[in-house]
Amino acid sequence: MGQTMVEKIVSRQVGRKVSAGEKIERLPITKLFFNDVIGPPAIEGFRANFTEVFERYGTAPRVFDPKRLYFLPDHSVPAFTIQIAEGVKLMKEFARETGAKMYKEGDGIEHVVLIEDGQIVPWDIVLGTDSHTDTNGALGTLAFGVGTTDSLYAMATGHLYDFMVPESVKFELTGTLPKGVFSKDIILHIIGVMGAGGCSKRVAEFTGPGVRSLPMDARTTICNMAVEMSARTGIMAYDDVVADFLQGRAQWPVEPIDSDPDADYAQVVTIDLSSLEPIVAFPHKPANTTPISRLQDMIARSQREPTPDFCTIDDDIITDAFLGSCTNARYEDLVAGAAIMRGHQVHPEVNLIVIPASRKVYQRAMQEGLLQVFIEAGANVESSNCGPCFGSHMGVMSSKAKMISSSNRNYKGRMGSPEARIFLASPATVIASAIEGRITDPRKYL
Amino acid sequence: MITGNVTSIYGKDINTDDIIPASFLQQSNDRKFFKDYAFDRYDPAFRERCKQTTANIVIGGENFACGSSREQAVYAIQENNVVCVIAQSYPDIFYRNSLSNGLVLITLPDTSSFQIGDELRVDLDTYSIENVTQGTTLRFEMTPDDCDTFKQGGMIGRVRNHLAELLQASK
Repeated sequence: MGQTMVEKIVSRQVGRKVSAGEKIERLPITKLFFNDVIGPPAIEGFRANFTEVFERYGTAPRVFDPKRLYFLPDHSVPAFTIQIAEGVKLMKEFARETGAKMYKEGDGIEHVVLIEDGQIVPWDIVLGTDSHTDTNGALGTLAFGVGTTDSLYAMATGHLYDFMVPESVKFELTGTLPKGVFSKDIILHIIGVMGAGGCSKRVAEFTGPGVRSLPMDARTTICNMAVEMSARTGIMAYDDVVADFLQGRAQWPVEPIDSDPDADYAQVVTIDLSSLEPIVAFPHKPANTTPISRLQDMIARSQREPTPDFCTIDDDIITDAFLGSCTNARYEDLVAGAAIMRGHQVHPEVNLIVIPASRKVYQRAMQEGLLQVFIEAGANVESSNCGPCFGSHMGVMSSKAKMISSSNRNYKGRMGSPEARIFLASPATVIASAIEGRITDPRKYL
Repeated sequence: MITGNVTSIYGKDINTDDIIPASFLQQSNDRKFFKDYAFDRYDPAFRERCKQTTANIVIGGENFACGSSREQAVYAIQENNVVCVIAQSYPDIFYRNSLSNGLVLITLPDTSSFQIGDELRVDLDTYSIENVTQGTTLRFEMTPDDCDTFKQGGMIGRVRNHLAELLQASK
């Protein structure tokens, strides 16, 4: 029996052949990163739990490997409270003490910057203190979001404890995407089919000719949202697109990876990309999806049979739009948005916020005139951070707000008031909707 | 033996944003802080119900505490004197975070029989839940390893020993 990529990566790390279902008491990891939300409490926890052990051995506190440890202030920067500023300062001091890499406010979002900088390579086992760490799986890595405790243990010893090797679900993508349909629509469609818990305890492996035809940015969008069907993580094989992306960029040795043809899967799901159209997820969960052609039917259904996580929607009017986040604010996303925005204005009743995912994306978008398109159309363009997706700054929503967002979560209260409504869609759909002030099929602009 | 009363019953796909909204996360590094903001935008009455009872048990549906990896969700529940959660399933991140903090998570395929106010006795040695109020007993499954970790309140002892091993080896 062959192995999945997950089984192969774990096998290499532990030095023996393992299969799904096995428990690994100590799994060595290869990369670890922290954001400004979990970094500060994790540093405090690291000191509280391990200082005595270091003292016992007469060594200064040290991390498992400073070259493999990164701190990225991205969620709430530039800081807007003293507590947040203190947290970022603590990360800076700790990084200086331990030799770890500290990024600056505005360098960008964790799941974008490390990939962009060539820090993530196939065969890595990556831990990040954010559930969207699954994004990194697009490079053939095994990437897990972890909480404070797992992360501070890993910072000390470089291990994840009591790890159960997960099974994989194979998503076989065939055909090619029609015009105006994007990778965001693929993953929203898949989440809608699988449900919010549909991939629980399993890794979502995305494969097939439909994946191989997608550029790198589009792939990360798909892996990013694997967690929205509760997948353990998302993963994709190494191929020519990954090879080209890592050429001249990778800071670590690059080695191909793929699952064996006879690997064992818990489930196989085939998706014909040519049958897809733009998808919109209704409040309050990403699995509430509808093809945009059936938008009015979905609105009617929300009025007929609302539930706590599928609330009543009066109409297709929107008041806010967000093009940003670790899901959809990379270069290609801004290109797709700007292609629709060009020559149009943001609707007078809509607040459009555009946040490039990293400083490098920002600079390229500026040089190529993309930011100018958004700014001249009346958008607010902000420096790189997680923005309104985290619900704490740069566009917190009022009780009457109706947002269409390129981000990954539309939970009740996620972006501000619990009365606000959040729809999820592709960057193209977000911008088309920002122009019209109502949820709009982007294909009419192409 | 864990004893307590059912004071909250939730449906499926409760997420960790429901349990503790993001805007509170960076206000404190002290786990006790999150007590006063548990379920702030989803069910603010949760905290008041928890105050009425010394040991609270939360009932959930499928996929309880999905979404964000924020461990503050565990603190927010635990600091409200919740001794145990019983749900149909949990995503892995929350399960791991709960193991790390000794918040006991019980998995039952059907949680529909529980009513608010039920007095429960959860026995991690016999893998059984006695519903004293209803006079019934339910069995649950849990690996012995997870059971030990829940009982020990996490794995910090093992991790400290591992760090000591690594420091010894590098001497």
